[in-house]
This record gives sequence, structure tokens and C-alpha cells, in this order.
Amino acid sequence: MSDPTKLLTEFQLDALKEIGNVGSGNAATALSQMVGKRVDMSVTKVLVLPIDGIAGFLGGNDRNVAAVHMPVYGELPCTALIFFPLDRIPELCSMLIGRNDEDPFALSELGRSAVKELGSILTGAYLSALFRFVHLQLIHGVPGLVVDMAQAVLDTVLVELEQRDEVAIVIETEFLENDRALTGSFFLLPEAGSLQKFFSAFTRAMGLPGNA
Amino acid sequence: MPEGTKNVGIAEIRTAKDPEVLSAHGLGSCVVVILYDEVRRLGGIAHPMLPSSRNHSVGGNPGKYMDTAVEALLGSLRQEGSEPSTLRAKLAGGANMFATLAYQAVPIGMRNAAAAREALGKAGVPIVAEDVGGTQGRSLQFTLSDGRVEVRNLNKPGVTL
Repeated sequence: MSDPTKLLTEFQLDALKEIGNVGSGNAATALSQMVGKRVDMSVTKVLVLPIDGIAGFLGGNDRNVAAVHMPVYGELPCTALIFFPLDRIPELCSMLIGRNDEDPFALSELGRSAVKELGSILTGAYLSALFRFVHLQLIHGVPGLVVDMAQAVLDTVLVELEQRDEVAIVIETEFLENDRALTGSFFLLPEAGSLQKFFSAFTRAMGLPGNA
Repeated sequence: MPEGTKNVGIAEIRTAKDPEVLSAHGLGSCVVVILYDEVRRLGGIAHPMLPSSRNHSVGGNPGKYMDTAVEALLGSLRQEGSEPSTLRAKLAGGANMFATLAYQAVPIGMRNAAAAREALGKAGVPIVAEDVGGTQGRSLQFTLSDGRVEVRNLNKPGVTL
């Protein structure tokens, strides 16, 4: 396969960024309603990464994260993964449920629930935005939460779901509430063969010539 | 971590000798096999993903499957003068981290561990210590001067094998 980071043209990357923006807009609205405070979200990065580049992208192999994972069913089966830096989880829980005492290494049931819910909302928002563009039916399943080293989570995803394609779609988002800014990384890991379907649908939707 | 520590990533195999240090970061379901010859003070780590090469084409990478990875690691060590009878094995990894992803009746982590025991049993290498299973990821450091394996969970110190 040719260089996966060059799988998308500038134009297509811009379109993916637009999907990210629309998705974040939807998610921010939902979140604001959920927490009763204004939350803004902006997409800081959109890219396509080889899977073994993800740990490096997150800043080193041993970084601790709170990772929400869920299956995505439908025309582009994949796994959605959302990583939040573990040391910012207390702030995130404070933002979401108003609790200031969450221990990231021993989250309460409510804290875990809130983080999973956030992951689910984000995934749903991005998938809806994606649908508006490429008209692929996608539904996300039940979220799980793992608190661990980023590389261990990726290791497990790679092994447990061995039919992964070699690249992931990455959308990095910043959440802003008052003066608090937090970054979460959203990864879509398509099943083997699905990525090609995605790019074909994408190309068709953009009315572009190419590998449709 | 000491300068010059070499990491053994997924599907990799590495050998080293005193005073070198090997590491394996972010072990989830993977089980790593650590072999040590305490007389020659040399050894290696294999970091396969899956238990068995049966029904798969190995292609150019024996490191991907437990059976072929253990064989390849033993082969490399034999070239340095360490026969299986002089080696001792330690195992680490094999966690079941994603409880909601119940794809298999027996979690892949445990299957990797079973495959490690089988491959080492066949080769006649005794397993002298292990930190396997559980629900947490591990990172480890293998010091070739004395063969000790220091395991960490969530970047906090865990057991020493």
C-alpha cells in the first residue's frame, strides 16, 4: 500500500476537517445541555495515521490515558477509540458532573459513566457528521472504559480485533469550558477492507474522479 | 530508564547481553517471553501478538506468532552459544483489558500465555517466574547483568520477576 498518510488529498483532508467541525459543533451543543454550562469544542487536528504511529502521536509510549472504546456497526464497521490524558480526568469530571475529588486511578461509578457518556456523545456526533458527507449508515454500540497506558490499549485493540486495517482516522478536539481547555483524541479504526470503501464513498460524495 | 535501552515492540524479537537493557512497553493482551542465560549473561525477548501460526501465513515475520517467535528467539540465542538447557524463561502480559469485547470464550491474553507455556515446554526451557493475566497493562525492563525483570502497571512499580 502506498504511504497511508498520503491517502487523502489536501481537499479531502479539508473535507474531513469539516466533518470534524460539524461533529464537534453537534457534540458541543449536546454537552452544553448535559452539563448546563456552555462548552465549546474545536478541531485541532485531522489526519490519517498508521496504527503504529498512534502511540507516538499521543506523546510517547508510556502515557496514561482514559480510553473509551466502542464498536461501530453498519456500512463501515470499525472501532471508535477516544483517549483523554489521565491526569486531566479530574478536571473533565469536574466539568461534566461537578465532582472535584475523582481519583483518576480509582474513578467512581459516576465518574466512569460520565467519561463513557462523553465518549459516546463524541462518537455519535462525528458519525452523524460523517453520514451527512458520505451517506454510510453507522451506529455506535455500548462504550467501555479502560484506564491504562496508551500503548497497552492500542496493543489490545490490535490483537483482539486482528482484522484491523493498517490506518486510523484521527480527529483531535479541544474542549473549552470557561477557562478550562482539554484535549481529547478520537480514532476511527476501520475493519480490514473498510477503509477503501470509506475513501470510495468519500470520493463519490465529493464528486471527484479517482478510486471510486 | 537507562540510556540505550532497546524496546521490543509488537511482533519483534531482540537479543542482548550484559550490560544492555531491553524493555517492552504497553503490553495489553500480548504475552512476552523473556529468556536468560545466567552463566553467559545474555538473553532476549519475543513479543508476539497471537498464539499460533497455524492457519496463517507467517510471511517474513516469525515474531508475530508465539510458536514461531519462541523458535526464532531460541535459534538466535543458540547462535550465541546458549542451548535451551542453559536458558530460563519468564513470562509477562496477557491481560484481559476490554471486558466488554467478549469475542472469544477464552480471552486472547490467556491463549497467548497457554501458547507460551506450550512452546517453552516443547523446547525444554523451564519457566521460573511469571506475571500474567489480570486486567491491567504492563511495561517491563529486562536487565541483562542479572536477569531481573521489573514490571510496571500504569507507570507505577509492580512486581520484579
